[in-house]
Amino acid sequence: MSRTKNMTEQDSSQTIKVKTKSKPITGVLVLLIGIIGLIFAIGLSISFGAADIDLMTVWSAVFSFNGDLTSHQIIQEIRLPRVLGAAIIGACFSVAGAIMQGMTRNPLADSGLLGLNAGAAFMVAISLSFFPGLSYQYFLFFSFAGAAMSTIIVFGIGSMSRLGLTPMRLVLAGAAVTALLTSLSQGIAIHFDLEQDLAFWYAGDVSRATWENLEYMFPWVLIAFIGALFLSRSITLLSLGEEIAIGLGQRPTLIKIAGFIVVLILAGIAVSMVGAVSFVGLLIPHLTRFLVGHDYRWIIPNSIVVGSLFMVIADLCARMMNPPNETPIGALIAVIGVPFFLYIARKGGKGL
Amino acid sequence: MIEHMSTSKTEQKKKRKFLMITAICFILLILTFIFSMNTGANSQSPSEVFQTLIGNGDRQQHLILFEFRLPRIVLSVLVGIGLAVSGCVLQSISRNALAEPGLLGIHAGAGLAILMFVSFVPVGVLNSTYFTPVFALFGALFSSFLVYRFAHKRNEGLLPMRLILTGVAVQAGIQAAMIVLTIHLTPERYETVAYWLAGHIGTTSWDYILALLPWLIIFLPIVYGKVRVLNILHLGDPLAISLGTDLEKERKILIGAAVCLAASSVSVSGSISFVGLIAPHLAKQLIGSRHEYYLPISALLGALLVLLGDTIGRVILAPSEIPAGLVVAVIGAPYFLYLLTKSNV
Amino acid sequence: MSTLTIEQIAVGYGDSIIIDGLDVTIPENKITTIIGPNGCGKSTLLKTISRLLKAQKGSVYLDGKAIHQLSTKDIAKRMAILPQTTETPSGLTVYELVSYGRFPYQKGFHSMKKEDVEAVQWALEVTGVTDFSDRPVEALSGGQRQRVWIAMALAQETEILVLDEPTTYLDLAHQLDILLLLKSLNEKENRTIVMVLHDLNHASRFSDYLIAMKDGAIVTEGTPNEVMTAENMEAVFDIQAIMTECPLSNHPICLTYQSSKGV
Repeated sequence: MSRTKNMTEQDSSQTIKVKTKSKPITGVLVLLIGIIGLIFAIGLSISFGAADIDLMTVWSAVFSFNGDLTSHQIIQEIRLPRVLGAAIIGACFSVAGAIMQGMTRNPLADSGLLGLNAGAAFMVAISLSFFPGLSYQYFLFFSFAGAAMSTIIVFGIGSMSRLGLTPMRLVLAGAAVTALLTSLSQGIAIHFDLEQDLAFWYAGDVSRATWENLEYMFPWVLIAFIGALFLSRSITLLSLGEEIAIGLGQRPTLIKIAGFIVVLILAGIAVSMVGAVSFVGLLIPHLTRFLVGHDYRWIIPNSIVVGSLFMVIADLCARMMNPPNETPIGALIAVIGVPFFLYIARKGGKGL
Repeated sequence: MIEHMSTSKTEQKKKRKFLMITAICFILLILTFIFSMNTGANSQSPSEVFQTLIGNGDRQQHLILFEFRLPRIVLSVLVGIGLAVSGCVLQSISRNALAEPGLLGIHAGAGLAILMFVSFVPVGVLNSTYFTPVFALFGALFSSFLVYRFAHKRNEGLLPMRLILTGVAVQAGIQAAMIVLTIHLTPERYETVAYWLAGHIGTTSWDYILALLPWLIIFLPIVYGKVRVLNILHLGDPLAISLGTDLEKERKILIGAAVCLAASSVSVSGSISFVGLIAPHLAKQLIGSRHEYYLPISALLGALLVLLGDTIGRVILAPSEIPAGLVVAVIGAPYFLYLLTKSNV
Repeated sequence: MSTLTIEQIAVGYGDSIIIDGLDVTIPENKITTIIGPNGCGKSTLLKTISRLLKAQKGSVYLDGKAIHQLSTKDIAKRMAILPQTTETPSGLTVYELVSYGRFPYQKGFHSMKKEDVEAVQWALEVTGVTDFSDRPVEALSGGQRQRVWIAMALAQETEILVLDEPTTYLDLAHQLDILLLLKSLNEKENRTIVMVLHDLNHASRFSDYLIAMKDGAIVTEGTPNEVMTAENMEAVFDIQAIMTECPLSNHPICLTYQSSKGV
């Protein structure tokens, strides 16, 4: 939908006024409270489980590990990686979502928009049906490859026009690729009787995080986070509109490519690890923007903290609700997130 | 006077184009019908079909044509029309190229209702052939009602963008509930749900068509009576007000009609989702966005797509059937992407 | 005959009130232009007049009847609006878009009647867009597109035309085209025209009546001769203006100006 020229210019002059408001003090405050909350939540999450362990033991298990104690072993081998995994994955989805929303100026954007979830699910369906005995690491690799494939298709098709990659084209291409790949994986699943397995994969499972997996993903995630922080200023400018960004000396195409690579690494890894719980990525950026304003230099670091805090709490709740069974984390995130999102839609949802 | 002539000539040109596209769609529908009869188990050649239609076929031919193939074909066509028109209306009033019935929570609501039926109603208590559509219909209407309730604000009325955002949230909530229910199902029982979710027009009968028809008979004329209002709403709120439309009222009527069309279609066909998105896009590419032409062409393309999808799904991996919804997406999506590379949105 | 009177309106967006307690009467069969600095409420006033915004207090009266009590379709036959921002719809030709201007006159399933076609023809012609009436609107330049939107408003065949900055983003020649067109519509067909313009000299040259606003209130109103004075410019825009007379219209124009706050 193209707009007349005066519409865009009118719009952007208004958005500048509104959007450059940032709140550094609240930003720092949220960051600090978030980090304290995160540490506390991680401790709480570790202490809770089939074998109840008090917080002091958690402390000593982490900082003065004693291999002879069962409680220390449980913490080190099972609970710690799981809770760290949850934290990192929450941060991954949130930052990816924040970047997507900033770059597309679309409040509904998240990493799922690039076809990432569908691509990963497609490869999961393929590996479940054609290579059932695959080791977990290969499985991870496969689904990451799926995510990468769909992102490249979406990005490529989105850019294949003389106008380049507009947010609208991106959204449309993403929707079409998602529909295509979802249908293909559904078809495969129906043909090989794997419908429910695929549904479970979609539902998400944080328990797949082990030290080994964490070691694989951590360097990548770290690099991507640093990349995201480097890009944050450019993304703020891009979120004001492409022409303005060019006027301010930015190179939108370059930023977009860099941004998508960061999104792919973060969300691709997170999706292959726990499944498609990317609703976090839609939710957390809205929450942080609500708290710290529209400057991505604040949104991105805060998304890391708020996103991990949210995921750790969600995981804790998922384990606490109906022990020893786990409630699927995807369902839990939606239960927390949906009312909040409805609230956002009700408050805003006007000039989007 | 000369000017007058030339412009009405271009009008006529457009009308001719419209009639031509309509004719081509009909021909393609008939060809698909013939192809559909001619392939798969118990196939019938065109002449056999014709003979059976006029009453000269043997009992088995008669049975296959009238009890198995024809209801399925007619249902595909009707469902395609319902979904495409619904998508067309929603895209125009929201001025959002991504709007489709699914965004109003229709598919999710119907899916949850089906899942609840399969989870909580013991096998054999209620006749699933008749009660699943009823459940699905109520689920779809209920979830779209929820979306509407949350999106409607007393002093601001119904803003399309808010409607879509709310729809996304409600959908996410429903999907969460579905995950929880899915865990407790046996794989065999889940399979019915999976087929439904993928949009499978498998078991069908004239009863389904009779159940769907009243909805189409009521709501299609309502929508068609509003083509000019749709034209105006498509221009945006200020101009729509300027030209004298009652925005609130018209939006309510049109969204209501779109919901009823999609909900009734989905309840008998399963979750076929891509048609509502792609049929209007294709139609716009062919004939432009004037709703006098755009709406009927969308409807025909929707019918063609679902019929084609169902036919291909039935024969391509025979004897196992691929749900129509999947086939539609697999055919439609690449074409949609191709369009995207050429258009200038 | 259509008189527009605005009585004691209070209007704003959400909780912020922009205009509070404003009275004004738009003179009939005249060109009235609202001028004032950015954010003074001139667009808000125009939107209230054209019922795009609903007044929280007070009312706009069309021939003595409050507009929100009249049927919106009836108003559409008497008042056409060109909003400041228009979103170009996809997939429409110029002719189709302009023919949408006939919406208020159409009923039921009937297609365009003879008078509808004639109105559209006429609107295309006076705005000079007949030549590309078959082209898609998306393919036009900004100036052409603006003329198409005006053509649509003209096809509505109303006594009153309300335009929010119709010349913005057009070059000098196209600005003049549009204003001359409005002037001739006013002169030949007695249409009442209300608009917002940013260019003071255009406002003075082409208007019969000026309304100068600041901070949501009317500072002064009257003929260009009454309004376009150095004192008023100072009061409304905080500028020290050097005024002179336009040799074409004999209306006062602002030759040049400097800031009142000092350089």
